[in-house]
Amino acid sequence: MNGWVGRCLRVNLTEGKHSVEELDTSQAERFLGGRGLAVKVFSDEVSPNVDPLSADNKLVFSSGPLVGTGAVTGASCSIVTRSALTDTLACAKTRGHFGAEMKFAGFDMIIVEGRAESPVILSVVDGKVRLVPALEYWGRSTSETESLFKGSLGNQWTARETFVLSIGPAGERLLPDANVVNGRFLPVGGAGIGAVMGSKNLKAIAVKGQQSLKVADGNKFVQVVNTLMNKLNSATLTAQSMPQWGTAFLVGLCNQNGILPRNNFQEVPISLGNIGAESLEKAFALRSQGCFGCPVACIKKTDMKQQSYEGRGMVPTYLSIGTLGTNCGVSDLSTIGTASMLCAEMGLDPVAIGGTLATAMELVEKKVVTVDEIKIDLQFGNGNGILEALTLISTKKGYAKKLGQGARKLAESFERPDLFMGVKGMPMSPFDPRAIQGMGLHFATSNYGAHHLYAYTFIDEVLNVNDKIEPYETEGKPALVKFYQDATAVLDSLGLCCWPLMGLKFKNFVPLVNSCLGISHNEDDLLKIGERIWNAERMFNIRAGINGSHDILPERLMKEPIPDGPAKGQVSRVSEMIPEYYRLRGWSDKGEPKEEASGAPGTGEV
Amino acid sequence: MPRIKINHLKCTGCRHCEIACSLNHVENTSNPRRSRIRIMKDNERYYPVISGPFVDAACTSKHFIEINGLEYDMCAFCRASCPEKPYFIEAETGIPLKCDFCGIPPNPSCVRWCNSGALELVED
Repeated sequence: MNGWVGRCLRVNLTEGKHSVEELDTSQAERFLGGRGLAVKVFSDEVSPNVDPLSADNKLVFSSGPLVGTGAVTGASCSIVTRSALTDTLACAKTRGHFGAEMKFAGFDMIIVEGRAESPVILSVVDGKVRLVPALEYWGRSTSETESLFKGSLGNQWTARETFVLSIGPAGERLLPDANVVNGRFLPVGGAGIGAVMGSKNLKAIAVKGQQSLKVADGNKFVQVVNTLMNKLNSATLTAQSMPQWGTAFLVGLCNQNGILPRNNFQEVPISLGNIGAESLEKAFALRSQGCFGCPVACIKKTDMKQQSYEGRGMVPTYLSIGTLGTNCGVSDLSTIGTASMLCAEMGLDPVAIGGTLATAMELVEKKVVTVDEIKIDLQFGNGNGILEALTLISTKKGYAKKLGQGARKLAESFERPDLFMGVKGMPMSPFDPRAIQGMGLHFATSNYGAHHLYAYTFIDEVLNVNDKIEPYETEGKPALVKFYQDATAVLDSLGLCCWPLMGLKFKNFVPLVNSCLGISHNEDDLLKIGERIWNAERMFNIRAGINGSHDILPERLMKEPIPDGPAKGQVSRVSEMIPEYYRLRGWSDKGEPKEEASGAPGTGEV
Repeated sequence: MPRIKINHLKCTGCRHCEIACSLNHVENTSNPRRSRIRIMKDNERYYPVISGPFVDAACTSKHFIEINGLEYDMCAFCRASCPEKPYFIEAETGIPLKCDFCGIPPNPSCVRWCNSGALELVED
């Protein structure tokens, strides 16, 4: 097979057994692999009413067919399960080297089911699948787990080539805000997965191998990769902004449009002070790190030893600056950096926990709750409070009682559900939907809750890469959102990163896919597959009880205008756009996909 | 004579060079373990190492050296396809690998796919 390895590993933790299965090629053609195929396998095998933390829930780790082949940015591995935070499907995209190494280890997909009696680590090293007892790893941070496991391999050469994906103390304690961590680097969009992994007593997965991957037409493939790299190098955003500052370059641009939220989406920052991209460069010595096969290399690492930062982690990205920074009223880079590093060590999702902390801070501000009651000094602008909270919530039982239940339940437990800024239980990523209407529509309709990484509409709305589209307008936004949702589903399923869309057009990927996999799809074929995946996810959520009535933004964003800044007076007009969006998708008025939803055969059934 | 100059401070560890080498030497195949260039990671830094010949006498002495207060394991950065470490030994056949500049100089495929500037072709 080209691209795919052609094998899946199924591990049953209850029985401690594993089996190797052939990849279902006909489904792989329909759903590509990665996120799409994982969603298909998961929704076929697991009941939509499954308790996320029960042994019946499954975890699917799935690399796309282009991962590891040398395709530009082909590094993404999707992790699909039913989320402990949102009760919808959860899909994390983890990049770095894990996905590629998983394929070199010989598997496109690892399906984990059941629950181990005591903590284990799944090790797939050099063709040997082992469940290693991991009692001594329990309670350890993710970086400790990684070093300890690599040390236990007993051979430094094997250890150097092994890649580990693990959960931290937050996942072990089944906090819904927990995520998995891939080589000290946080995946995105997967809140709720850490707890599922913790409930299975699975501390980590380690992979290494030497399986060869085949591409269909090597000469053509190399040519296409060269062309794409030249294109990426000639686009300003992917050649300069991203390699220089990582995604943090968006902070300034979003703030200019009034998109960056402050104090739990109550207002926008008036001045950025010292958190802009230029300050990043001054604050830390920056060095780029690339995921597998990525010419852009947007992950920024620090070298410099700084007080309370210790130079261990990543430089904060746009996501951490927004959620752990401005949205909690903090504008001190070294605090945000430390918080982001703590999230990676504890295995917390920055978006989810950032939303929880911001909600708690507003509860304190509105005098609904006192600082004494939540035991941690959480007030807007108090950076130390955030740092304290991140560690205490994930390690000490008493502190997690209120704060460790996720933002929505926290707000509900104090009878102020209106203070929860999120959709379907997932706190919003730092884009204020009032100032960026397309993103607002995506937040409301997303299958995974309000996370921007399932539709990068800001590429057009803020960065104006393809067209100049006004962020405050609603016209044309339903079509834009549908395009980005479908395109992102395709790229995730192929295993490509979506950030290159800032320098490439979606159609540029078509020859890459065809020369690698030996198929002859065109742009529309791929987008149809994307639509099929989106509908499949939607169908699972509807069967799980999350339907059109949940496609709604918090009231604040639809009623209270932004008080100040460039987007002053704007509210989200998402309810105006939803009927048009449903119509474009071919869904019913209630947001249910119809049998003939996208015109592609077999789309309606999932 | 053209040579490949390595600036390890620029390397991002993306391993695109490994795949470029593999695709160039083994038809339609991507596999870092069949590549003649490998990226070593040490102290959160990346070091591209290009494979060279193995000579018995090479590794009898210094295994560790110190530069600017940091200790480096020379064994890791050694380019020999030696029996002591499983690098530069072709995964499927066990044959030792050695960089051949992709046949016709001056166009090694790893340099072409290195976008960070860590690998550079120089005339010396």
